[in-house]
Amino acid sequence: MSTSTSTSVTRPSRPGRGEPTKDRPARQGGRSAPLGHHLERWALPLLLVVIIVFFALFPPSSGVFLSGANIGVVLGNQAVVTLVAIGLMLPLVCGHFDFSVGSTAVFASVVTAAGMAHFALPWWVACLAGVAAGAVIGAVNGILVARFGMNAFVSTLGMATLLGGLIQWYTGGLAIIGVDPGFMAFGSGTWLGLPRVVFVVAVIVLGVWYLLTHTPYGRALYAIGSNARSAALVGLPTTRHVLTAFMLSGILAAMAGVLLAARTGGANADNGTYLLFPALTAVFLGATAILPGRFNVLGTIVGVLFVAVSVSGLTLSGAQNWVDQVFNGAALLVAVGLSSYLRRRRTGGNG
Amino acid sequence: MTSTPLDVPQRPAATRWALEAQDLDKSFGGTPALRGAHLTVAPGLIHALLGGNGSGKSTLIKCVAGVYTADAGVVSVHGSAMPAAQITPRAARDAGLRFVHQDLGMFSSLTVAENLALSDGFPTTAWQGIRWRDLHDRAEALLERFDIRVRPTDTVGELRPSQQTMVAIARALADQRDRDAGGHILILDEPTASLPENESAELMRALRSRADAGQTIVLVSHRFREIEAVADDVTVFRDGRVAGTGPVGEMSSDRVVDLMTGSAAGITGTPAAPTRPAPTAAPSRATSGTPAESVFTARGLVAGSLAGLDLSVSRGEIVGLAGLAGSGRSSVLRAVFGDLPLKAGSMHLMGRPHQPAGPGDAVSAGVAFVPENRVRDAAFLDMSVRENATMTRIGRYWRRLVMDLRTERAETRSLIERHAIRTAGTELPMASLSGGNQQKVVLGRWLQQDPDLLLLDEPTQGVDVMSRREIYATLHEIAAEGCAMVVASSDLDELMELCDRIVVLTDGRPTAELHARGLRREELAAAVLTGAPAAQETKGTEKT
Repeated sequence: MSTSTSTSVTRPSRPGRGEPTKDRPARQGGRSAPLGHHLERWALPLLLVVIIVFFALFPPSSGVFLSGANIGVVLGNQAVVTLVAIGLMLPLVCGHFDFSVGSTAVFASVVTAAGMAHFALPWWVACLAGVAAGAVIGAVNGILVARFGMNAFVSTLGMATLLGGLIQWYTGGLAIIGVDPGFMAFGSGTWLGLPRVVFVVAVIVLGVWYLLTHTPYGRALYAIGSNARSAALVGLPTTRHVLTAFMLSGILAAMAGVLLAARTGGANADNGTYLLFPALTAVFLGATAILPGRFNVLGTIVGVLFVAVSVSGLTLSGAQNWVDQVFNGAALLVAVGLSSYLRRRRTGGNG
Repeated sequence: MTSTPLDVPQRPAATRWALEAQDLDKSFGGTPALRGAHLTVAPGLIHALLGGNGSGKSTLIKCVAGVYTADAGVVSVHGSAMPAAQITPRAARDAGLRFVHQDLGMFSSLTVAENLALSDGFPTTAWQGIRWRDLHDRAEALLERFDIRVRPTDTVGELRPSQQTMVAIARALADQRDRDAGGHILILDEPTASLPENESAELMRALRSRADAGQTIVLVSHRFREIEAVADDVTVFRDGRVAGTGPVGEMSSDRVVDLMTGSAAGITGTPAAPTRPAPTAAPSRATSGTPAESVFTARGLVAGSLAGLDLSVSRGEIVGLAGLAGSGRSSVLRAVFGDLPLKAGSMHLMGRPHQPAGPGDAVSAGVAFVPENRVRDAAFLDMSVRENATMTRIGRYWRRLVMDLRTERAETRSLIERHAIRTAGTELPMASLSGGNQQKVVLGRWLQQDPDLLLLDEPTQGVDVMSRREIYATLHEIAAEGCAMVVASSDLDELMELCDRIVVLTDGRPTAELHARGLRREELAAAVLTGAPAAQETKGTEKT
């Protein structure tokens, strides 16, 4: 007596081999996707547009909201968060949290700033050192999770705490100043009216988008995230892929740190949670859009902008400081709830 | 004894049977699982229920336990009858029935005393603190009463499997005093299914001594060999009916197998010892005539529950692996696929040494593996049919630095067509397909790779009849094209249908090798169920 319920009792049996399926109503997806499906994909981008329009017309904020200056500030500020979010996405795609991205970014900014200010290294060597530090941190995370099978949730949280402590120890709680003026000028400069860092981030984001959607590696990461055991049993090198995903995550977070150092002209003693949580929110919001139920780069970008624009609009409308946190927290809760609901619906309750 | 007045023909000596089930009927969605089943268990004896998969023995136990609600019938415990349709788990317990299931329901990280207390309640102080000394004293007394040589402070996970089962039994019978040992009826559902041989022998000894002390025991099993020595009575099930019952002394191994396989009417003689001459070289269907070209050979394979196996598969040959649960069927496949490290032995694939460090190595060597548990080990349920179908070959679509989605879709469409997969599109999530169609996707993605050796574990488990036909046809087709196959299955009909040659495994060793041509189902069943070196060529002589 098999208790398996997955046999196709309800499915009308069709004897014809390879019969065209046009007589079967498309329930979802496919070429003739119903309106609901499109609405789901584009709900968040649509909401973003609505919010932009609202704050552009809402009297208390309409004055400055769509001004070039404000757009520049919003995008510039979000460049760092975007990179952190994209970095965080890679381990998430293969099913693991990486809570150390925020502190990795700050750690890299400290390394970069200290390289220039304390060791008088050329700016590019200092930047490379910062990125290398991130790569090492990512590799350690990857080895702990992929090789030793540690729970990423806990081990990366440990790594985040450790890095926060190291940052405190090195900086003594003080900001590092005195970086290369050229480096600083790059961080605050603009091209075509937009902060230069935005272009750097755009190029990197494009690269990650390519990696995830247009390479076998990206497909393999999604497969591991979907079912690690199945992925191993189709012959994918799951250990190596998870390890490299963590390493890339460390590198991307470190790049965010380098940009952070360029924008602030130094490094602050911080543990990076102020970067981690907006990034988490953005990634999970992103999983509800464009490709619902799946972490995806475009969705993540929309997620970052959604949070940033909303917070900016609220601040300009005269909202208090605490609104920022409340909004972020609420958005994260809604995003996590929605994305896990979408995933469960896709897998028919097995996810 | 509160006998409910029922119009059941009361026996003159109503208390003669400890447990009696009469005319039990149970069907699941129109499919009868039990048809007028009778069972009478005498007090103080071990009564074994035997039967193949789906024979109804477990259904009967579950009806008696109140897990399933029977459609009709009466169950009497120590003479007090109740309609089977009204039995609840609670009522079964109150009547003195105690069940120990195959999954013992033990918490392996807790101690013996804690496990015992979880069903019994912890002795507590006034502030709800646990009185540990009391707890351990109580546990120790119980363990002593059941003659289990473990300490209350031992962690259950560290006990040997037979000891764990005994602790579970002690827990089930904890509220029974020695004086009325006949009071409770202990019912064990396949307690030895996952135990190695020495462990199950030890458990059987322990059960025998409980029975000698007056305990009534009902034992569900499908290994006649192991219960032969300990049981007093045997009831054999087949197709939801009782095929035969009687004292164990009157049941020969041959007769039990006859009853289990339903061949009793036809051949009453010696079905387990076939007179068919043992063919020496295996003429496979595809390559009959020409000398078989060996694709895969293994010598002295030891891995997982596998304790030493020689295996050789020729081009176009389908070799079946039969055996009970825990016999090492799946271990063979996983070892060949590099998913289970070899402890000893060597393998050769296409004449070259085959030493996969992982599944990836096996795949690149030309091996494919369709695992038993599709949802857990093969499918990517939230990914699209296309992504599932091409997962073994994603590298091939990476052309000119982008994924060639157009080719990928086209090839997926042709795969869907070739294997008659019923789906409304390539982009639908895998989860939207029925089990049979999911299995065809999993199979199809390997066949695209043109493997030299295809390993299949329960290839049609949870697959509807139609899809099963199609899968069989596909497999025969690719065997004819020269693909070598190893199929592990618990479904004997499937093995008979698919294979050229069937190797029977018992406790990790091959005990028989049968050629499928002209093989009778009962011969195969006999070889699997008895585990005895019954038929044809016999290997693994040092059986205990």
